[in-house]
Amino acid sequence: MQRASKHVVFNNKCPYPFTAIVGKDAVKKAIMMNVINPKVGGVLIVGEKGTAKSTLVRSFGQILPEIEIINLPLNISEDRLIGSLDLKYAVEKGEKRLETGLLHQAHGNILYVDEVNLLSRGIGNMILDVWSSGVNTIEREGMSYSHRANFTLIGTMNPEEGLLSTSFLDRFGLYVEVKGERDVINRLEIMKRRMEYESNPESFYDKYKDSSLDLREKIIRAKEIIKEVKVSKEILKASVELCKASRSIGHRGDIYLVEAAKAIASLEDRKEVEFSHLKEAAKFVLPHRIMEPREKPQEESEEKRNNNESNNENNNQNPQENQSREIDNNESKHIEEENKLDIDSDYQSTHENKDLENKSKTIMEDISDIGSIFNVKDIDIQINDTIIRKGSGRRSKTLTGMTQGRYIKAVIPKGKPKDIAIDATLRTSALYQKQRGRKDKLIIKESDFRKKVREKRTGNTLLFVVDGSGSMGAKKRMKAVKGAIVSLLMDAYQKRDKVGMITFRGDSAEEMLQVTRSVDFAKDKLKDLPTGGRTPLSAGLIKGYQILRSTMLKDKDTIPVLVLITDGKANNALGLGDPVEEAISICQDISQKGIKALVIDTESGFIQMGLAKEVAKALDAQYYKLEELKDENIERVVRNIL
Amino acid sequence: MKKTIFPFTAIIAQERMKRALILNAINPKIGGLLIRGEKGTAKSTAVRALADLLPVFDTVEGCRFNCNPHETNNLCRECEEKLKVNEEVKVEKRNMKVVELPVSATEDRVVGTIDIEHALKNGEKKFEVGILAQGNRNILYVDEVNLLDDHIVDVLLDAAAMGVNTVEREGVSYAHPSNFVLVGTMNPEEGDLRPQFIDRFGLSVEVMGEENVKDRMNVIKRRLEYERDPIAFCEKFKEEQNNLTNTILKAKENLQDVKISDQVLELIALISITLEVDGHRADITMIKTALTIATLEGRKEVEFKDVKEAANLVFPHRLRKRPFDQGKALSNTLDEVVERCREQVSM
Repeated sequence: MQRASKHVVFNNKCPYPFTAIVGKDAVKKAIMMNVINPKVGGVLIVGEKGTAKSTLVRSFGQILPEIEIINLPLNISEDRLIGSLDLKYAVEKGEKRLETGLLHQAHGNILYVDEVNLLSRGIGNMILDVWSSGVNTIEREGMSYSHRANFTLIGTMNPEEGLLSTSFLDRFGLYVEVKGERDVINRLEIMKRRMEYESNPESFYDKYKDSSLDLREKIIRAKEIIKEVKVSKEILKASVELCKASRSIGHRGDIYLVEAAKAIASLEDRKEVEFSHLKEAAKFVLPHRIMEPREKPQEESEEKRNNNESNNENNNQNPQENQSREIDNNESKHIEEENKLDIDSDYQSTHENKDLENKSKTIMEDISDIGSIFNVKDIDIQINDTIIRKGSGRRSKTLTGMTQGRYIKAVIPKGKPKDIAIDATLRTSALYQKQRGRKDKLIIKESDFRKKVREKRTGNTLLFVVDGSGSMGAKKRMKAVKGAIVSLLMDAYQKRDKVGMITFRGDSAEEMLQVTRSVDFAKDKLKDLPTGGRTPLSAGLIKGYQILRSTMLKDKDTIPVLVLITDGKANNALGLGDPVEEAISICQDISQKGIKALVIDTESGFIQMGLAKEVAKALDAQYYKLEELKDENIERVVRNIL
Repeated sequence: MKKTIFPFTAIIAQERMKRALILNAINPKIGGLLIRGEKGTAKSTAVRALADLLPVFDTVEGCRFNCNPHETNNLCRECEEKLKVNEEVKVEKRNMKVVELPVSATEDRVVGTIDIEHALKNGEKKFEVGILAQGNRNILYVDEVNLLDDHIVDVLLDAAAMGVNTVEREGVSYAHPSNFVLVGTMNPEEGDLRPQFIDRFGLSVEVMGEENVKDRMNVIKRRLEYERDPIAFCEKFKEEQNNLTNTILKAKENLQDVKISDQVLELIALISITLEVDGHRADITMIKTALTIATLEGRKEVEFKDVKEAANLVFPHRLRKRPFDQGKALSNTLDEVVERCREQVSM
């Protein structure tokens, strides 16, 4: 086994000093805890952009140079991660030898992954696998090796870019959140230090040399002390209780708690874990493990509002009135409960004149605002075909046939290879060079060729076909529907889908938003989406089909998905037949054209006709009730609990 | 024949965009520029034209990564070895360049890849540099930056985070400095940038088509004139070009002498807190931009109006809390906030 011939570490010799970073004490402590006691299980640092997440981790290398911080780039390929055939050795000797990858180098060190939530799934799973077992097993290119790989994983992520898979999340022992400094004095200090550093890195670095040395000694001492730190039975019991009481998931929580508490105790020069240590440890260990419905207080107020709304409905059915109530409901959210009624009536009187004016309009319109937004269930749109696609996005994982996408690994090609994996091809040929009588140039034969396998998540084109008829507006469903659409849009953003929107009401369907990658535009349009009138479901479906068909023609690589949001109560047909029957037969046609569909049923109330479900069946679509879209699984409170 | 570039000084109006580009030429640490606007608003022309005005810098002779010989703490591996052998490195002058990253670029072209020729000849792996190597200490320009593939954006973010490009793929393991000034142009209707990515642009400007009929006519006239005889056209603007180059050089020289008072720093911190921007990048960029504006104006001290101008360049693209929220402050509310904060620090 050969360690990668000369691994190139490029490091700025005067990085921004760790001890010069203002505040961020929790992150600093979490990193130190990992170094003192690797059993605390790594740390996930979560925070908005520009909060020195990367600087914190990378600058720590200067404190303890004996521990290497190995940067794992997102675009790493499999061979460099786990190791592969040593090319030079094979060419010269005709023998196999392993050239190790980053996981070998990481042994006993810190493996650092910036933006860990953006790792490709394949690479992420490999890392997770080795991280959990502590052993890297290599079975490739005719080689069979394994070596120990115990490392501390430090990951950073910005939640705006999407969530980390739960299995990965659970595996992190500690969790810290970083925020920008909100205090003027501290903020000033940050700026001053940064400017000072940039104008002269060397002298700035020297200025903090002493504090760095102090910290180094503190850590080294703690590493000694921790060997002797004792944990009493009471503390063990308390840690189990704490996990139970906080309803934390998984079994690892209590172990991490104790290990973290030990590290904290040793940092304080204590040889026995105390309750205060455990309490502090909980702040790092539990936040990402607690299961609890999110934003409970808000839901309560939501309910109150709903009650309020139903009261209003009893009083009048005029959609315009409802709109004004909608507004005051939002206003009154911030105002004491008792005052509510008064404000309501005030609003009514000021709006009455406007109402009269608007009543002359032919179609009564109602524009509701956007209801509560939530995390959407993981809706994986399955691709059953074998067309090789090349779009970019994250929802549906597909193999790409283009020279785009992340090169993950190499395989033996079928027929003439186009996208040759040079490295793998060379490795294959390497062993035969002696045999083939190489003089100077390598002799490559056709049988050596290997092809790149690239992975890329293809974004879908989501066309929202929204029922804007009166039945949606009058029953106050539109607000919830808008909330759901925004939630789906957020999801679409994270998965890099393209979106478009059409609405159908009255006599026709209308394209509200052309298919675009800008979800911002979509949200804007949604705000102004009116409701009112009859339900021309057939018109909506046909328009939707037309748009998706032209999208498919323009861009062969996208996966078109029709997201139909309706209660299914069609009452305006294109022809003379029954509107529901007509819509269902159109659905069957669309389904036969190979368009994927998702139906979100907005029907509510005691008596439900279940028409949307029939529509879904005809479309061969995945079917969800509006209420089912929320992903309870993701609704974990990630919040400091103590 | 040398390829001519449409002269920067011949671009009509679009003052804010031109100014933002010049500021970046004077002080690359500002961290680039995002130009948002519709098609046909001279976005690309301006960026490409900037190449003519860029200053010369010192670099280690023959270095593939434009290493700075005066920053021996931050050299690539090759230069470090040279330094070890010779104890000193030879210096050569290079022009700062505009390096283009096409939207269709593949990942191996961007980050670098295995040198095929070398591998075939010698049975050894060697690193062949990519665009990120060329981009070190230069301007990295991406036209239609919002259409860039996601995995390329990841790579740019990774490199931008610490100014290092780390390559661990296709059998090669390499790392080298990659401090680039990121300049991008985009048409917002075609899609957005990821918030993480947008924060990497130091400044942003919004460009609009020329409304003024006279200016519009002049735009067309100049374009036609240039196309008829590019050399003569460039000759005509030579003096203006030279003047601007000199202004930039002088401003660059004086940059380190510009002072910024604690009061101004406090004002900047207050503005950021009031606007609730994420992180601290905006503050630092504000300082650098204000300093650069002052030096461009030939002053040695940052004044309130510099901060005000800087705020209008630094904040517009950062005022979105989530991927969806529209920037809540327009330019005049931004000015209002700046004025209000000014009262608080009693400037």
